[in-house]
Amino acid sequence: MTTDDIFGHMFQEFPENSEWDVVIIGAGPNGLMAAAYLAKAGLKVALVERRYEIGGGLATEEILYPCYSSNPHVIYHMMVDYMPVIKDFNLDGPSLLWIKPNAQTAMVFEDGKSLLLTQMIEDTKDSISKFSFKDAVNFGKVMRSWRRIVDEIVAPATYVPTMTPIEMSMALQKTKVGQEMLELIEQSPLDIINNTFENDRVRALMLYASCMWGLDPRETGIGFFVPLLLDRGMNKCYCYGGSHKFASAMGREIIKAGGLILEHAEVSKIIMQNRRAVGVELAEGRTLRSKVVMSTLDPHTTFLDLVGAQHMDKDFKALIDGWKYDKWSFYTLHVASEEPPRYKCDDPWINDAFMTIFGIESTEQLLAHWDNVVAGKIGANFGGHATCETLHDPHLSDKPSKHISFFQMHAPYEIQGGWEKKAKEMEEAVLAKWQKAAPNMKRENIIMTVHETPVDIETRFPNMRRGGIKHGDYKPIQLGSFRPNQECSSTKTPIEGLYVCGASTYPGGLVLGGPGYLGANKVAEDLGVKKWWKTTPEMDRYIKTYLT
Amino acid sequence: MNKEERYDIVIIGAGHNGTTTAAYLAKCGLSVCLLEERPECGGAQETCEPIAGVRIQPHAIANYGGSAPGWEQLELWKYGFRMDWKAGAIVPFNTDRYMTTTDGLSKVTDKDKMGYAKITGLLTDPPFFKDLMRATFWCPPHPPHVELNENTIPFMQVYKQHQPDMWTRELLEWTMFDLMDEYLDTEPFKVNQAWIALVSGAHGHMEGAAIPALCSVATVMPPAVAMPVAPRGNIHGYYHALLRCAIAHGAVVRTCCPVEEIIIEHDRAVGVRLRDDATWGAKKIWANKAVISAVHIKPTFLEMIGPRHLDSGFLQRIKDLSLKGGSLYMTHYLTRERLRVRPKFQTPGYRYEDYGSFTGPFFPNDSRELYFENVTEVMGHQRNLTIPPERAMYGMVASETYAECHPQSTRPGVYINGPQWMLVPTPEYNVDGMDAMEDKVKWNEYMRKALSQVVENLDSDNIIQILGESPREQEFRNTGMLGGSWYGLRCDRDQWWNERPLPELARYRVPGIDGLYLSHQSSAHPGGLCLMAVGYNLMHILIEDGIAEPGDWWYASPWYIPEEGKISAIPNRPSSVSTR
Ligand SMILES: Cc1cc2nc3c(=O)[nH]c(=O)nc-3n(C[C@H](O)[C@H](O)[C@H](O)COP(=O)(O)OP(=O)(O)OC[C@H]3O[C@@H](n4cnc5c(N)ncnc54)[C@H](O)[C@@H]3O)c2cc1C
Ligand SMILES: Cc1cc2nc3c(=O)[nH]c(=O)nc-3n(C[C@H](O)[C@H](O)[C@H](O)COP(=O)(O)OP(=O)(O)OC[C@H]3O[C@@H](n4cnc5c(N)ncnc54)[C@H](O)[C@@H]3O)c2cc1C
Repeated sequence: MTTDDIFGHMFQEFPENSEWDVVIIGAGPNGLMAAAYLAKAGLKVALVERRYEIGGGLATEEILYPCYSSNPHVIYHMMVDYMPVIKDFNLDGPSLLWIKPNAQTAMVFEDGKSLLLTQMIEDTKDSISKFSFKDAVNFGKVMRSWRRIVDEIVAPATYVPTMTPIEMSMALQKTKVGQEMLELIEQSPLDIINNTFENDRVRALMLYASCMWGLDPRETGIGFFVPLLLDRGMNKCYCYGGSHKFASAMGREIIKAGGLILEHAEVSKIIMQNRRAVGVELAEGRTLRSKVVMSTLDPHTTFLDLVGAQHMDKDFKALIDGWKYDKWSFYTLHVASEEPPRYKCDDPWINDAFMTIFGIESTEQLLAHWDNVVAGKIGANFGGHATCETLHDPHLSDKPSKHISFFQMHAPYEIQGGWEKKAKEMEEAVLAKWQKAAPNMKRENIIMTVHETPVDIETRFPNMRRGGIKHGDYKPIQLGSFRPNQECSSTKTPIEGLYVCGASTYPGGLVLGGPGYLGANKVAEDLGVKKWWKTTPEMDRYIKTYLT
Repeated sequence: MNKEERYDIVIIGAGHNGTTTAAYLAKCGLSVCLLEERPECGGAQETCEPIAGVRIQPHAIANYGGSAPGWEQLELWKYGFRMDWKAGAIVPFNTDRYMTTTDGLSKVTDKDKMGYAKITGLLTDPPFFKDLMRATFWCPPHPPHVELNENTIPFMQVYKQHQPDMWTRELLEWTMFDLMDEYLDTEPFKVNQAWIALVSGAHGHMEGAAIPALCSVATVMPPAVAMPVAPRGNIHGYYHALLRCAIAHGAVVRTCCPVEEIIIEHDRAVGVRLRDDATWGAKKIWANKAVISAVHIKPTFLEMIGPRHLDSGFLQRIKDLSLKGGSLYMTHYLTRERLRVRPKFQTPGYRYEDYGSFTGPFFPNDSRELYFENVTEVMGHQRNLTIPPERAMYGMVASETYAECHPQSTRPGVYINGPQWMLVPTPEYNVDGMDAMEDKVKWNEYMRKALSQVVENLDSDNIIQILGESPREQEFRNTGMLGGSWYGLRCDRDQWWNERPLPELARYRVPGIDGLYLSHQSSAHPGGLCLMAVGYNLMHILIEDGIAEPGDWWYASPWYIPEEGKISAIPNRPSSVSTR
């Protein structure tokens, strides 16, 4: 006997089969953005998410359960100043509030000295001058020219379809700023930093800030990331109420525009018909048919698991097989405490800093730590960065006046000894190191801790394979028009009706607002839908200067 | 800085009831602003993932609201609402069912089943089950001029019409045990039903509580039929559909916006003032038509309105409203192996895994004496439990029975079990102090021992972690749960229907303050649970007051009686949708 027999039809549920213009897989920042643009353009859009909550990396969760929430993934929002989505959806104001502290990135050393990168260049110069007056002057000079590279080229290019390297170098030749950037591209981050600064501690901080998101310090061909990540690293924003509020705000835009969001709906298959992608099937059995399918997942999941190798030609499959996941991931220790960490150092502003690096005393040590990580180890020489979230956001703690912080460090997916065992050991090691830098981080101050390993990241998000926070490594052959490969970097794939627009597609990972935006543009063009949004003035200037 | 804003309706608190109200009113075409203190909407209708890959529901779990008019009226399916039928309590009628007692299993007899089917309206053709549920939960209390008796009380009208042989005057005086003694057979089955009622919103042992208590059980799990108890995406998935319905109809939702004051001018609520740490730049938000408080009744009157506008006699009565009887200690167990029931509780041919999460063990159902012993512990002694864990009554959700395609734990080799919940003393009245139950190691162990009476492998080898949550913590997480009370206020006859929360407030209006309405579990009939009921009931009142003018989709409760001199909430057209 079923419910229906007894009660009659209880109530209606979402249908077994439904028809859409666009189905988007994955409600991370990119899926949300693509869905918001396209729904508002009048298309019938369904955004399908595996977890019980939208947001992907834009998560704010009660992981210090109960009563303390944290941002286990995205916390530093680096592109708020440029992302078209912010202006297009009016996401700076009543619905969403961004906080950009002046004290951005600090580094504290064992001897109590410290360095501080601030949003205001002059304040940073003051701090650097404690170590080297020459570096302070150089920093001012270099940052002014790098900021132009970011403002005029790298930032607007994030929202414009990619070019091949040859097209790119021809375009950049056109201006002096472009030529400067070309010179940087050829160098490795380590070279750029060593050539610019003389003091080793200054170098260590700059190297950490420019490579922390996964650049190989010794690799050439990616040098333009240094100005971008340093400049943006000094302009990080915090999303008041937690990063998930950014996701909720975009979610509301999708709903307001008539779109659908389905959570707890894992896509198990992209439905193929006559060599076209025509919809998706969910693990629970429901199907959503559509004209276009957009995937924000990593290439292996999208093409090998959901489409299936039988629908691809050999060469294309080889490209997908060749995809390399991030060379390192993160290990994070979240802590609820009575007091915020108070660092023992010579600069009171450090205690207000958005990010504080400790454990790193020299470039040599930093490089050795990273080499260890790449080799699957974490030695005693590790270091990382910490943030006290409640300094900026009291809402994260349900108990008044308590504090929530985390320490995060680069860590291998596969670690010698296995994470099962290593995770707890690391916790002790981290707390010892933290207490050395901030003496009040002792056991009596700590209410609760919880750690997240690279394996945990993958458990929360299977598309962050091997804990890959960017769905794939940053190396020259996986960047620009090669991300994820030349066939797909425009977001359109060789499979008719299938688009890719997650972190593994140009311009790449982190909350850049790039892939989702570009995917929406492409799909709008291909479906012949009028775009209600306009390119930003910065993009217009970039297009006019370099692309015409 | 942002300018001040103005809406037709300002709703304080985006929990289940505030959001239901927002959805209804936005669907009427009103401009609605929903203000929530926490970063996330949902109130006690939450799901979270405290450990990577492990999902739990810290507060509400089961969908009790299957009979709600809201499914049709708000069309939640459009916003992605789906059920996880696997986890529904789908136990065919002809399956043998057993109750757990300290001595082992007690069989549920045919008399139990048939008696139960009769009193819950399953035996007539067509069944009147849904009418009974709707009469009990989905009808606003009658206006003061209506005398309450066996002819006017909605559930009595339902019995009179559909099962006249049950319709006696005494039904209004009976306890749930009286009712069950009349129609059911075995003691453990009766005790089980009374206990589920107790933790589902009604103190069935109080006189007059028989039918509300029965309905509180029946709405979630009549023992023999399928019920829509587990939404996909868990309880917060249900909430998502509700919130999105409100947004799709234009409601503006703001989180991190705690309201500190309800602004009252010339005896009228005209807006709210936000706390200083609110996200929103302008700290005042104005309401043209109504301010609706969907937060706890105590802070509503004691803090947000305050003595400036209220007399002390009234405030004293608000202070005196009892929080007792709704505080639960909740535990989840993260284990290496599936939990195994001890042989003496294993039922031949019946596996929990096959029959849904809400058929997990309820223990022990020995006798009503034991039930009373447990109730007295919590409500009478007002101190930490002294009853030995072997005799403590609890319920347990068998969460491994959710659909395989979305298990509660996707962590390899790890199971999440629970919640196990136990009624405990309300921290506010604990003679040993508010924090007396904060020794969680101790209480987790108490819970473990209690569950170990039925489960054999709940030992240190198997347990990886225990996630415990005390009522005090529930109160911190959600100020709507004062006293950790999942029901808001005590749920006996004195605080039910026409008396909830106080007789003069029972119709959701606040006498003396125009434009102010109440819509929280603590301040409105039918109280706790995610039923979409407070919002539906309140709609009748807002229509009466000329604030809401719903379209064709609206139908009023068939038992609703309009207040004299007001606009009737019954649409001026033949009701297009029947109640079943
Ligand atoms: C620990 C950590 C810290 C980070 N910190 C920062 C930071 O401070 N700043 C920053 O900018 N970036 C940070 N990142 C990186 C950032 O989170 C990602 O690069 C970004 O979220 C990628 O966005 P996306 O939309 O492409 O994909 P994702 O955010 O990965 O979203 C993909 C979505 O798809 C869903 N999904 C997966 N499989 C399926 C399926 N089969 N069907 C349906 N849905 C599916 C997932 O559940 C997920 O919600 C961090 C990442 C990690 C792990
Ligand atoms: C342990 C437990 C188990 C439960 N089990 C079930 C179950 O299985 N099934 C079921 O249906 N129900 C269950 N319930 C009950 C159900 O969760 C509640 O009855 C229901 O969620 C209450 O909804 P509400 O909107 O009335 O209140 P709340 O959920 O309390 O909502 C009030 C909202 O207002 C916000 N708020 C408070 N103060 C302010 C302010 N000053 N300004 C702005 N916002 C504010 C709060 O943050 C909250 O979001 C359970 C509850 C608990 C605690």
